[in-house]
Amino acid sequence: MIDAIFGNIIWMLLITIGGALISLGVHFVPVGGAPAAMAQATGVGTGTVQLAAGAGLTGLVSAGAMMNLTDNLLLILASGAVGAMIMISVTMIVGTWTYVYAVGCVPASAKVKVDPITKYRQDLYVSQGTEGHGIPTVSFVSGVIGAALGGIGGSLVYYSLIEVGMSVGLQGSGVTNAVTGNTLVGVAAIFAIGIFLVNAVIPSYNIGGTIEGFHDPKFKKWPKAVISSLVATLLCAVVAVIAIAQLGGI
Amino acid sequence: MSAGGSGGEAKGGYPPQTIMGLGIVGGLVGIYLGHFMPPAYSFFGGIGAICATVWGADAVRRVASYGLGTGVPSIGMLALGMGIIASLFGLSIGGLGGPVVAVIVAAIIGGVIGALANKVIGMGIPIMEQAMAEISCAGTLVILGLSVVIAGSFDYAAVIEYVIASGYIALIFIIGGMGILHPFNACLGPDEKQDRTLVLAVEKGAIALIITGFASSLHEGLMTAGINMIIGIAIWLVAFNRYYTYIKRDAYKVVGTGLLPSAEELQ
Repeated sequence: MIDAIFGNIIWMLLITIGGALISLGVHFVPVGGAPAAMAQATGVGTGTVQLAAGAGLTGLVSAGAMMNLTDNLLLILASGAVGAMIMISVTMIVGTWTYVYAVGCVPASAKVKVDPITKYRQDLYVSQGTEGHGIPTVSFVSGVIGAALGGIGGSLVYYSLIEVGMSVGLQGSGVTNAVTGNTLVGVAAIFAIGIFLVNAVIPSYNIGGTIEGFHDPKFKKWPKAVISSLVATLLCAVVAVIAIAQLGGI
Repeated sequence: MSAGGSGGEAKGGYPPQTIMGLGIVGGLVGIYLGHFMPPAYSFFGGIGAICATVWGADAVRRVASYGLGTGVPSIGMLALGMGIIASLFGLSIGGLGGPVVAVIVAAIIGGVIGALANKVIGMGIPIMEQAMAEISCAGTLVILGLSVVIAGSFDYAAVIEYVIASGYIALIFIIGGMGILHPFNACLGPDEKQDRTLVLAVEKGAIALIITGFASSLHEGLMTAGINMIIGIAIWLVAFNRYYTYIKRDAYKVVGTGLLPSAEELQ
């Protein structure tokens, strides 16, 4: 057990960094929560965990697919990031269509007077009694950045856990076409999901449920969540590494 | 905007210690019975999971009453995220004492995350540390209990082979989390009553037992799967009727709306 910890310090550090990246990434994602579902706040109308997990888990799948082809860490991280970015972009663009063509409101941010990217006025278009609505350009760009960070973080966690398992002699990627039966992939994936959810919930408590993106004043609170995530993920990483190292013995 | 809860301490009903005792003792006894008895009795694991679900739902009720700032579902997902790591760790090093080790590790992880949420992030919920530790332990016991239903034992190799590698763990993750987060999420509001919320938790736990019972047919055979599902359905029927009784008790009035009016009646 002690050997497992000292032999895998580098992977534990990478898992911890991955957790911190996920935590930072969540701050970029425009989460509107229940108010946004009624077009009364800017962002996508669902909770942080659902959005971050949706994007992050897609990132895990695309990273896992890439791991069948190569063991180049950079390519795997890029694949995870692109998967997560595609997922969140699709969510946001379809959400925008719904807000514009079905709800009938213009995308507008209530937190800034002009959109920092397009330089369009925002405050004139915010309906009375709302905190903005839809997904303006700056929030969209911010969301894509956040998904990239989350995807990189998730893939880093998954890759590290697979490497820990391979160091005790388990098979990392599917040699056969069987869908089930690969114990290491199953354990690493479910641990990565567990660590991902812990790191998606911690920042969501930090931002109080809603955020518009990197232009939101709440974004400045990110160091608190990242520090919390570093500590929490380190704890999870130690526990997960030991559990995976024990797989070698069965 | 704070979603979920009115911003105060949850009141009324059974004291937290009673529910906690039920969750820990019921959960562990169920898991050990399911492990040591012949495969046909693996439903005891499910009954343990139901006890743990009730405990988790009560802990969610107490902490979410303060208003988390984000939706109640987040804390249920957090519970299962911490639980999955703690439970597999416990089984991997604990042997026969695995579930106990898992619960202790879960309490440590939950306590640390609760302390971080209060001290670093500054949520300022007085019971955050304790509640987070409780939720984490409950999530761990739910995962272990439902794993025992599917695998018939909590032996690490068996759980890895029949629950994790087969992918049923994803199913356990969502239905177990649903049992912990849904009861308070569905019942919250000024008229929330503890007994109604907890009966809903029993009902959700029974659904989890039915579904994992179905999944157990792959490894344990149709006979055991049938017993698991019949017991799950029986508990579900009792709990659902009880829940409906409490709804009728707490509602101002329950009326039938009848069928949709026909085209002639609308004119």
